[in-house]
Amino acid sequence: MSKQMVASIRFLGMQRVIANTDGIDMPITGNTKVNDILEYVRRQYPALQLEEGMVLVTVNLEAASLDRILRDKDTISFLPLIAGG
Amino acid sequence: MRILRQIRYKPAKVVGGYADRILRVDLDTKEITIQELPPDFKSKYIGGRGYALKIIWDGTTRQTRYDSPDNILVMASGPLGNEPAFPGTGKFIVGTISPLTDTFIDSNIGGHFGPLLKRAGFDALAVSGISKEDVVILIDGDAQTITIAAAPAYDDETNDGALSFGERLLKDVNGGEYSDSLAAVTVGKGASNARFGVVNSLFFDVRRKRIRSKQAGRGGTGTVMRYKGLRGIVVRSSLSKVNGNNAIDKEGVRQAGSRLKAVVSRCDPQQLHMATWGTTGLSEYMDKFHIFPINNYQYGHSPQSPNLFGNVFLEKYFSRKIPDGCYYGCNLACAKGAENVELTRGPKVGKVVNIDGPEYETVGAVSSMGIFDPHFVMEYNWYCDEYGIDTISTGVTISFFMECCQRGFLSADDIGYELTFGNIQAVDRLLHEIASGKGFGKIVGQGVARGKKWVAQKYASRNGTSEDAVMAELNKFGMEVKGLEFSMYITKESLAQQGGYGFALKGPQHDEAWLIFIDQVHKELPTLEHKANALKWFPLIRTWFNATGLCKLPWIDVRNPEAASTAEPAKNLPTLAYYVSYLNATTGSNKSLQDVLDDSERLYILQKLINLRHRKGSRASDQIPWRAIGPAYFNEYEARAEYYDEWLQQQLGDNKLPASPEQRHKLLMEKRIEAYQQLCDIVYEKKGFTSEGIPKRETVEKFGLMDEQAKQLLSQLGI
Repeated sequence: MSKQMVASIRFLGMQRVIANTDGIDMPITGNTKVNDILEYVRRQYPALQLEEGMVLVTVNLEAASLDRILRDKDTISFLPLIAGG
Repeated sequence: MRILRQIRYKPAKVVGGYADRILRVDLDTKEITIQELPPDFKSKYIGGRGYALKIIWDGTTRQTRYDSPDNILVMASGPLGNEPAFPGTGKFIVGTISPLTDTFIDSNIGGHFGPLLKRAGFDALAVSGISKEDVVILIDGDAQTITIAAAPAYDDETNDGALSFGERLLKDVNGGEYSDSLAAVTVGKGASNARFGVVNSLFFDVRRKRIRSKQAGRGGTGTVMRYKGLRGIVVRSSLSKVNGNNAIDKEGVRQAGSRLKAVVSRCDPQQLHMATWGTTGLSEYMDKFHIFPINNYQYGHSPQSPNLFGNVFLEKYFSRKIPDGCYYGCNLACAKGAENVELTRGPKVGKVVNIDGPEYETVGAVSSMGIFDPHFVMEYNWYCDEYGIDTISTGVTISFFMECCQRGFLSADDIGYELTFGNIQAVDRLLHEIASGKGFGKIVGQGVARGKKWVAQKYASRNGTSEDAVMAELNKFGMEVKGLEFSMYITKESLAQQGGYGFALKGPQHDEAWLIFIDQVHKELPTLEHKANALKWFPLIRTWFNATGLCKLPWIDVRNPEAASTAEPAKNLPTLAYYVSYLNATTGSNKSLQDVLDDSERLYILQKLINLRHRKGSRASDQIPWRAIGPAYFNEYEARAEYYDEWLQQQLGDNKLPASPEQRHKLLMEKRIEAYQQLCDIVYEKKGFTSEGIPKRETVEKFGLMDEQAKQLLSQLGI
């Protein structure tokens, strides 16, 4: 029997305060896309307000497209678009 | 107060953002003059940094140093810096010849001083000469007088403190009451003893009902002010803040401001939450991406970093959750503060104080010393402000000396006590020694560039080695360029930001370019060509903000969702369109964004010419420490060996990695250094410079800057 694949969602900054957790793990399949994770988080944590164009989705600390297929142990974050004051 | 000189004047009416007057004060002769500006002055030099550059270019020489009588301290707002209907106005520039870099420095600063100076009838104030006794300048638009007075003598504690002195002064000149019709700039005793003294900007916050402060922190502008014998400047005007620029098209201003405010209101609560926790929220992101400058920028991440994340300051210190704009009308409102904080260390132990900040830069500076105690951040913040010294340069210089101890260049005998990373007691002691010019603080107060020379001499004479050899080693980790200490970001993984710091005309401060995320995380700058284009475009648009009296944050730190569908989202062009509309509505111009960039480029080239005049303008002056390029030492490489090996493998393609970690580290650094030199070549070409980083004649002529001085300078440089 194959081991269940898991992606880790990390909440940073104010997201961590609003979600009241550092992050959650989510079971994934071989077809799970970044967008599936985003939709899941939107449903579970509506207060995070992850509107399109407002955040940068990263997988393993690099920008990722929404249709990217996730792999086991990938880490997903939703970053503000930091550009340095 | 004993009046030394006073004149009466009729304040000029501000029209379209300009008063068209500069107030000039000579502290040698106590002469006060009002200079009327010709109409083309503003169209060529815009305001703010542009005015400071032109005044310094014309009024100083190659021989001028920070302490020369002919050095000029310029404070200049811009045409857009006086308008509550638009977010992020109120900024002004302090520009002068720096005690750290020996060339032009400017630092922008918030608060009410710039807008009040404008309403009192001046686009800029230019102070030259050195007073034999300590003085203050009072610019009173209501009484229509300008006064040079002997600085009031309070008790020692008040006299020494930039905050304490300013608070008292503001009350004294207004019949014992604070008012938001007055603002002040002041310096403290640290500015007498360190090269990185700041100018404090004090204003009355009607919401918090107390005096608040912001700082022009970089490059030692406060040291210049203090050396001139100028303790403070107070400006007063009771004219209405509303439509302070007297815009040509008031409705156009209202519309542009409404649009930007709507974007800020909608987006900041989903993005950086600046209105909630100011810039402290950045610590977490910097740590996550190995950019937090821990232990003199050796490591970008630490398990202890969460002690310095934004939520800690929000929960423990930012006691009043209210909008905190440093000028009226700003709904980004990121100027956080704390009331009733008890000092637990230093000469004022037990005192309960109000603290403005911390900003991310101050938090980063404390991490650079290996300290992760949030209360120490608050105390460090307050003491630096009260002494009037830069939190960034103070922290970076202390951390440089810490690393000198770590690597055996110095010992406790040289300093008088153990100076190790994370040693709060030692930093606490050294901080007060810097401000007092006592003990080892006298050396540290000179900054990193001069500190390197001191260490090289001491180590070479003790060990019989050459100073050059020691200096070569210190250049690996002494975090300065052109004499200015780095601001608080590690650039090892972003070649673009290495250029952002290396090419920055004032030295490695990120207000010309901050490209780390779009390079390192977004991967939007994959080639040298992309990086070079960004290194031309961003410094120009950022220069414009410093010329017009605007804060950059509502543009650069609040991403308009419409930008996502543009070719280059990082430029946030939909929001920049609001700024161009605001400019045209205020001044009555009809400029495009390209016109704005061209205006900025003129100022950029002028600043380059000043740097060349002061021998800080060529390729040699753009070279950065090894630590900014990559893991300068093996311990840094080891800390992220897997990451660095992967990077190296990408560079080598099908070739095999060297067998030993030491060889891999050596090759990695060779590749990184080579890449930086390639970047220099392509960036200079984009900017119209020679390969030595000197503007070509046609570049200078294009912007109408080829005066006699420029001709002679370029001839001397063989151009």
